[in-house]
Amino acid sequence: MLVTGIKSKPVYAPLRADVRGRYHLMLGMGVGDAALLRVIEEMRSAAPQALAATRVLVIPQTGAGVPVAAPPEFSRLPLQEVRAFAAVPALLEEFKELLGRALMGTRLYVAGPESFIGLAMKLALEFNLNKDEIRAEELGTLARRVYCIHCRATTEEVRTNIVECVACHRWLLVRDHYSRRLAAYMGVMADAEAPGELPPVKEVFA
Amino acid sequence: MSEAQTLTVEVTAIEQITPLIKHFKLAPIAGGSMPAFSGGSHIVVVMKGASRVHRNPYSLLSPPNELGGYEIGVRRMEESRGGSHFMHDEVRVGSLLEIAHPVNLFNLDKIARKHVMIAGGIGITPFMAMLEDLREGPVPYELHYSVRSPEHAAFLSRLNERQAGRFRMYYDSDNRFIDFDGLLSNQPLGTHVYVCGPAGLITRVIDSAQGWGWPDSHIHWEQFSAPPVGDAFDVFLARSKITVHVPPDQSLMESIEAQGVEVPYLCRGGVCGFCQTKVLELDGELIHNDHFLSDAEKARRNTIMPCVSRARCKTLVLDL
Repeated sequence: MLVTGIKSKPVYAPLRADVRGRYHLMLGMGVGDAALLRVIEEMRSAAPQALAATRVLVIPQTGAGVPVAAPPEFSRLPLQEVRAFAAVPALLEEFKELLGRALMGTRLYVAGPESFIGLAMKLALEFNLNKDEIRAEELGTLARRVYCIHCRATTEEVRTNIVECVACHRWLLVRDHYSRRLAAYMGVMADAEAPGELPPVKEVFA
Repeated sequence: MSEAQTLTVEVTAIEQITPLIKHFKLAPIAGGSMPAFSGGSHIVVVMKGASRVHRNPYSLLSPPNELGGYEIGVRRMEESRGGSHFMHDEVRVGSLLEIAHPVNLFNLDKIARKHVMIAGGIGITPFMAMLEDLREGPVPYELHYSVRSPEHAAFLSRLNERQAGRFRMYYDSDNRFIDFDGLLSNQPLGTHVYVCGPAGLITRVIDSAQGWGWPDSHIHWEQFSAPPVGDAFDVFLARSKITVHVPPDQSLMESIEAQGVEVPYLCRGGVCGFCQTKVLELDGELIHNDHFLSDAEKARRNTIMPCVSRARCKTLVLDL
């Protein structure tokens, strides 16, 4: 079975400011902050007025017990809004709310781990944002969301080539076949032909 | 597209609906149904005039779910090269016409969250069919329709009957014009804008949308250019090994076809890119009149759209 070399595997590129946009919506997770700060800096020199039309939602890297707050590098900038979130679902809920109110002319920038990008893109797709309105830069863990094609459950934070499905407990081979609609890679039963015979389990998505 | 793929239709009704526009109904001579199409499609009508053959693209305006016949609207062009005059003056109820199968180069975006349509004059025709496709659906849409004066408002009664509350009229004679910035600065994410009409209208809509940050994938337009007249020139067809003379009032494509050489085409209006032909040798200038090639491609001087483009040259050799 084809595992790699599959066209649907997303390709990312370093974020660049698109100052043809009227409004800018930026999402960052963990080390993704650095990419957002870089693109804001680029924007500041190309079209300084764009900062006042830029909203930033971030999940900062913070230690346990530390209150969640936007990194000071963002708070200093004359942005329209900066908000910090403790976890992905809360950020996505706010993002969805913003998409519902946003106008044509909005550009989306996402920086962070691929699974975070995927979930943001899935929502953006529901609002019919096209490729020319979205930029994404992959930073951080390559851990994957894996969709079980047998029971349709999604297993999170997968770092290995073979993984046990959280719901049906089949051993799944993780393919590069990616679904933008599901924001997940496809997992296919690895030992269907010869039950119990599995290739060695290796960490491949660090 | 070759002549073998055309259908023969009979003109079953003609109505002069505005001072400039005639409305034609076409039905298959053998009975039965016409090929299915989606809103925004056009057909090419082959008109065999006394001295030459005209092939003009016309948008289908009838409801796509009514396939007993097709309807088209033809505006009489002041500077016609003959096609629209042929349709207006020569075609009668009962006349037979050859048409090419429908092709859609002006599609609705199927996953749009809203559609904003802007029509100027005869540019209303593709929208008449698109509106039918949208009528029963859940996606919001609106039409903004601009004409010189009320007597020029084609298909108004059909719009009133089938699209009440979903369109707005703008009459130049009342000094009522579409406020492009007002319209395009305030649309929800996932909106698509579609414009069809005179070149000036299309340019203003594209400029305004881009100014408000709309990306190209949300801006759709269609304008069929009539092949402009120009100086006569000669072209050598390398594969057919013949020289073809292109007179001032005939297009490059028409002149080549008149010599029995087929050029593949879909729109004949500089839109689809299907007839793109390699230029093998050129001593002179190409006059690009299409909306397909980018400026960079045009500057390379190695490709041409024979449906609308010409040349001012001593030598032109095409890969045909």
